[in-house]
Amino acid sequence: MTGLQLVNGLASLLIVTSLLVIEARGTTLSAIYYALQSFVLVLVFLALAATVDAPQLFIWAGIALVTKVVLVPLIMYRTLGGISDPALTPRRLGLAWTIILAAAVVAVCFGVVSTIHLPGSSALKPALAVSLAHFFLGLACIVMQRNLLKQVFGYCLMENGSHLTLALMANRAPELVEIGVVTDAIFAVVIMAIIGTMIRSRLQTLDVRQLTSLRG
Amino acid sequence: MPGFGQLALAIGQAAALLLLAPLASGFCRVLRAKIHTRTGPGFLQDYRDILKLLKRQEVVPKGAGIIFRAMPFILMATLLLIAMALPVLTLASPLDAIGNVFTFICLLGLVRFFFSLSGIDSGNTFAGIGASREATMGALMEPVILLALFVAALLAGSTSLGQISTSFRSLSGGSIAAEIAVLFAVAFAVFVEMGKVPYDMAEAEQELQDGPLTEYSGPGLALLKWCVGLRQVVMATILIGVFLPYGAAASASFETLLWAALAFVAKLVCVFLIVGVIENSVARNRFFLTSRSTWAGFGIATLALVFYLVGL
Repeated sequence: MTGLQLVNGLASLLIVTSLLVIEARGTTLSAIYYALQSFVLVLVFLALAATVDAPQLFIWAGIALVTKVVLVPLIMYRTLGGISDPALTPRRLGLAWTIILAAAVVAVCFGVVSTIHLPGSSALKPALAVSLAHFFLGLACIVMQRNLLKQVFGYCLMENGSHLTLALMANRAPELVEIGVVTDAIFAVVIMAIIGTMIRSRLQTLDVRQLTSLRG
Repeated sequence: MPGFGQLALAIGQAAALLLLAPLASGFCRVLRAKIHTRTGPGFLQDYRDILKLLKRQEVVPKGAGIIFRAMPFILMATLLLIAMALPVLTLASPLDAIGNVFTFICLLGLVRFFFSLSGIDSGNTFAGIGASREATMGALMEPVILLALFVAALLAGSTSLGQISTSFRSLSGGSIAAEIAVLFAVAFAVFVEMGKVPYDMAEAEQELQDGPLTEYSGPGLALLKWCVGLRQVVMATILIGVFLPYGAAASASFETLLWAALAFVAKLVCVFLIVGVIENSVARNRFFLTSRSTWAGFGIATLALVFYLVGL
């Protein structure tokens, strides 16, 4: 098995873990799956760093390990872990349709990516398709889920997808870029977590369809 | 035309699986008893049950026709044919002419067809409902098996079960993610086809009094019980022989076959152990909600297809 095959294989695990994040019942479980996914992302970074000889990616992997595997899930767990809305039906689509939708999204994204000429290795196109699909899966999670905490996870999935795209396309970018991207994401998650808790405490709901009126 | 050695291996493995089947179902009964903290019947109880039933008189319902009488024999013959064609101890199938994806799916369909038809033919209402459930499960599960085997054939570049097992042994399909997804889809399909508790819709003991088996007695019931056990072993063999062929012999010498047999038995015990733990820790699915989980299995198979197409 070559390094590039390993990168592609690990990338497919990202799709599986994001399905777990979307389908998990409860915020705590979603946070655990998100940590798992971020760990897979770190492994992809490491495999990529060894394969394409990009030492910067090792530092990226270290940063991602601290922020994505530990910090973000911990913030989610501490602030949102206890919050739930029993009146809320968890999802619109069944598990089966979510998986089939994910498969369709990956196929379409591969169709798009295969038409683009890339300066780097064309063997990484499957992984690039996964990163693009991952972004859309996050978007789909935001659109389909009624639970606003799940929408925060949707944002995190989008962010992981764009991260992978960055690592695949610009793997020799300086570490400073990575630090910038990651801090951005952490602040976004903190702000969204605070807004989520406030909405729950003021309006007693997590259902986005109920958020029709503005109250101070 | 297969040579004498291949023919002998095919007949030998089918006979071995046939003899193992009551032991496997006895193992499940012992495991169930242990989980219930009962003493349980012992590993050999199913052999004793079958021998006892073979000595009893057979009673056939008044309106039952030839299908009802012939079904146990058709089932046994079909399952033995599948058992002969599967790669059990060797990587290649002993009878390559029938050891391919299409014959396997058709023979599996034949088993299901006659099993449900005999339920209707017996004239018993419980058996009729069991038969309709069996047919529904077939309609739900066949897309999963078809798609998963289709992707496996694409990965191996051949529909021969022997080629597929060789390709899965060497991971030469070039798409690891697709191979793993196929493995999961097939494992799910095999579990459902084994007819164990969350999916034992057709026989549902407490609801339907054993479904299509209700009206059988004596030697017919003995054969059918044997067939149910054999079907479980054959389904497990599909998983471990074709998709997890680790330890299987590449050449057919006596020593390698012996080691392959040991590996096979070890894998079979593992599969039945896992299946036993699952079946004893869940309740039966509600029949009308079954399609939700079977469609999820189809989703996994679809994911495998896409992973293959994308080249992950």
